[in-house]
Amino acid sequence: MTTMTATDVQSARPGLRVGTTSEFTLFFRVRPGHGEAIRQALQDLQNSDGYRPGDYRIPIAVIHEARFALFDDDTRLLFATSFDGSWDAYMLDFASKPLQLFAAIFEHVEGYEGLPDLAAVKNFILDAQVTAAAYARNYPGTVKQLRKATALEEAFQRVLDDPGAEGALQNPVLQPLLDQAADA
Amino acid sequence: MTTAPTIPGDAGQAIALDVDDIQAGALSERPSPYVGRYLLLRVDDPRHGRELVRRLAAVAAIGPDTPGSAADAWTTVAFTYRGLEKLGVPPASLAGFAPEFREGMAARAQELGDVGESSPEHWEEPLGSPDVHVAISVLAPDAARLGAVAERARAASDDLGGVEVIWRQDCYQLPSGRTSFGFKDGIGQPDVEGSGRPLRNPTEEPIKAGEFVLGYPDETGSLPPMPSPDVLGRNGTYLVFRKLHTRVAAYRRFLRERAADRAEEELLGAKMVGRWPSGAPLAVAPDGDDPGLGADPARNNAFRYGDDRRGLKCPAGAHSRRANPRDALEHEMSVDTRLHRMIRRGTSYGPPLPAGVLDDDDQDRGIIFVFAGTHLDRQFEFVKTQWLNDGVFIGTPEEKDPLVGGSDGHGTFTIPHRPIRRRLTEKPPFVVTRGGDYLFAPGLRAMRWIADLDT
Ligand code: HEM
Repeated sequence: MTTMTATDVQSARPGLRVGTTSEFTLFFRVRPGHGEAIRQALQDLQNSDGYRPGDYRIPIAVIHEARFALFDDDTRLLFATSFDGSWDAYMLDFASKPLQLFAAIFEHVEGYEGLPDLAAVKNFILDAQVTAAAYARNYPGTVKQLRKATALEEAFQRVLDDPGAEGALQNPVLQPLLDQAADA
Repeated sequence: MTTAPTIPGDAGQAIALDVDDIQAGALSERPSPYVGRYLLLRVDDPRHGRELVRRLAAVAAIGPDTPGSAADAWTTVAFTYRGLEKLGVPPASLAGFAPEFREGMAARAQELGDVGESSPEHWEEPLGSPDVHVAISVLAPDAARLGAVAERARAASDDLGGVEVIWRQDCYQLPSGRTSFGFKDGIGQPDVEGSGRPLRNPTEEPIKAGEFVLGYPDETGSLPPMPSPDVLGRNGTYLVFRKLHTRVAAYRRFLRERAADRAEEELLGAKMVGRWPSGAPLAVAPDGDDPGLGADPARNNAFRYGDDRRGLKCPAGAHSRRANPRDALEHEMSVDTRLHRMIRRGTSYGPPLPAGVLDDDDQDRGIIFVFAGTHLDRQFEFVKTQWLNDGVFIGTPEEKDPLVGGSDGHGTFTIPHRPIRRRLTEKPPFVVTRGGDYLFAPGLRAMRWIADLDT
């Protein structure tokens, strides 16, 4: 990847984009007195299906990773993630499904009134969103592509573990795989 | 998203649509087969323009399924933003229309992928120009009846010197219902809550009426944004009108070159579309066409993709599956497909390319794509930009819709297949945009309100 393909996405829309993927960075104010409760809510999220370390199964399939950081004595919350697609196009979809999954967290931040309608969601998010001043990625591709690549790597390792692999990979059709095999 | 319980057998009575105020052509299914005509008009004198609107309101009020009506054709009347401006709709009202509508389709070209050969500078005159103010479509079961009604519609402007017909396009549907590439079209339509029409897809709840008609709650539970005063917006809908030229010979040659035999040609074509020529969905009939299924409205739209995530039956990249992934993305939690649906009222134009012909005959043929919905942004533009022109959502960012996604001649299309997937490369473009616009089709009271303006 040469330069970021963020160029035309900049104009009025928040969030930088690199290739297929956009950064999404939100800063919230924790409701006074809710510091402990929000820490607990985040702990609960961490312990839920898909979010436990090693699960690698965040229910929202387009998210590369998600980070919640409390700071300033638990009076502020940073939510930072990278996701595939265009935030602008998907905003309403996010409002309809994924954001609801975080309701237990967001209810401890200012400005959250249960997101009754789109206007409320838009305001809630746009008030919190800060466009990154710099954003870089170390691999191209979508979550879907990476999952596929991981599955392929596992399959390839199983092939290489087979004593017959060396012979099988001699077929000229498999040359590109053989080229990878020495240190795969 | 909560949906009201469905009343089995019809599209729900949860809310009553004011069908008498909605233009007859907007929600009704058309006759099949049909012939039709599109007219575009320029308004030079606002008073004549408003008189035209008054006369057209009477024509648009009745369709063949209007009780007691002797009408034998559907007439739909719509306006561009500039048209409404020209007719004297006050600025405060104009400001309440959707931003995309106000900009017009030509201004959205970059966004929509109307670039290169499809860019507005190559569009057919006067499509996309500021001269287009009023659009009329007339559909009838046969040429004689069309002629009579179209004549009446045209006559409505005859003695009005300040209004001129500037474009005319005839269209038709073959008895087979097939469009130029050879596929039956117009099958995949949403069931609309409260429309009283029979349910076609029992696997999903009907879509809220407010997704297609202004003045009713939509899938978000809110009313879609609409202009004021209320009478202007209520029972109206936005239309997208696009003349899409199809390169049928190039399409046939591409299949001929890639396929071993005729049966494989048909298979590759079906994989690109997601349905067989008869309309039978690959999701239900993966191995071969099933004309009985294709022709049966009770079955040809009653399916999902959930048991075929890998796309072995219907590729994730197939046109129909991209344009409406149904439940295919449900497990991903990031998309609510109910927010991205559309009513389609497309028609064919131009002579069919005779069977077996592989050389281009320079004839203009294709479809007049017509969309109806209340959210140009998250319906038409979303589907076109995120799902047809882009492949990020299915994990193939480099791949576009095989029919309409645009192509620089190096497009690819992947067909999942056991044991080895098939990939078609060097796919040329098959569809070129000849022009179009965003329109607003008001309710009948709104048309009379426009006719009565005195500005
Ligand atoms: C020349 C251009 C096009 C051709 C030849 C074409 C052809 C077809 C065909 C053959 C089908 C399957 C039959 C059916 O379900 O009705 C279909 C479905 C569909 N198309 Fe297109 N189409 C074109 C352009 C477009 C565009 C520009 C859009 C949207 C922006 C679109 C949206 C859809 C949708 C929503 C469906 C129904 C999917 C479903 O509900 O299963 N099409 N089209």
